[in-house]
Amino acid sequence: MTTLTGMNPIFEPVLAELSERHRDEVMSAFAAVEHSPEPVPEAQLLALRDATLRRSLDDLLHRVGRTLVPIGTSWTSGYRDEVAAELARAGWHSLPAIDRAVLVLVLIHSVAIPRSRGTLQGDTWTSGQPTMASELLEASRLQPTDVRIALGHLRAAGLVQLAPQRAGSGQSAAYLPGPQLHRLSVAARRRLQEELILAAAPSSPVAAAIRARRDRPGAA
Amino acid sequence: MNQAETALWWARARAAGPQRIPPGGPTPAGMLRLPEPDGSGAWLLPVLPDSASAAVLDELGLPGHVLEHPNDTARVLAACVRCCWADPAGPLWPGVAAPWEQVAAAFMAIVGREEAVSHRALLAGVRRLARSGWLLWDEGAPAIRLGPRVAAWNAAQLSTLREMCRSMPSAGGEVPGHPA
Repeated sequence: MTTLTGMNPIFEPVLAELSERHRDEVMSAFAAVEHSPEPVPEAQLLALRDATLRRSLDDLLHRVGRTLVPIGTSWTSGYRDEVAAELARAGWHSLPAIDRAVLVLVLIHSVAIPRSRGTLQGDTWTSGQPTMASELLEASRLQPTDVRIALGHLRAAGLVQLAPQRAGSGQSAAYLPGPQLHRLSVAARRRLQEELILAAAPSSPVAAAIRARRDRPGAA
Repeated sequence: MNQAETALWWARARAAGPQRIPPGGPTPAGMLRLPEPDGSGAWLLPVLPDSASAAVLDELGLPGHVLEHPNDTARVLAACVRCCWADPAGPLWPGVAAPWEQVAAAFMAIVGREEAVSHRALLAGVRRLARSGWLLWDEGAPAIRLGPRVAAWNAAQLSTLREMCRSMPSAGGEVPGHPA
């Protein structure tokens, strides 16, 4: 039975093996990676630096469907791949379709296009390349009011953020992918990349290779 | 319930806030089950120890989430607590449903702004809070209830809130014990 004041049955089995000081370190790191909007530098917390404590932290996260995600020398947390897959299989979406459509537009302009041009390296879904409001409002078939409401939801969820304005540029608002995109696991980042290729260039050789790999038994 | 199912329930709550379930059935480990007063179902609310809560970010000097219109959103929640906490000597959850007009009057008594401006701020705040599980409200509904998230406030937090609630103006603009 869970109460507000008693031992937490989900964490206790992992914490029971640790000294009091290490318990505090692991719980602080849990709070930091789960609640901080940005990845947390490992220099800041012992349970992120120390491999043994980090394993205990990952055990705690595992019990609530989460896992540690490394970003250089910083850490954040994200959904475990099998948990995310199970939620998706059940048709479980926490964002309305229109919000997802606007998010995809920002990801196309800020990440997919710069990456295909070679100006954005790695497999990350964050980027410093802004998506102009005009690209969202004029170059899509979505209603401008719907786009603005969706941008409000996405900003509140940390999936999209306002790009810093260049002084004196006089431009309208611009957007960047939000810090929550750091929470994608390696497999989730690859899946997103593949889904965009399948949607944007379904008859390309790369799309054919993705389909062939997915059709193989045991493939992700 | 096994560990994999428990993890899934926690993941659902992480993605979309407290989950409403039919009556009966097991409660996942580490979650509170909050029955609806009419017995039509219950809410599952994940409970984190204080040492793993978002408040720890402050102690670590890490930035927290940036809320949209944090002051107005807090005032809207305050107005709802004022109207829905039927007996401040007792628990906050489940409270009672308060008519929209009553919440609007309490909000206006707190902010003291022009009616049209207040109404826009109230509507935006209620929508934000309902989306995140702090309030129960369907778009256009005539009444508002407190959401299951308020049940996670501990005894010390409730005690502070009780004190603050006593000094808050009600729908009529009067502070209890200090008639206007």
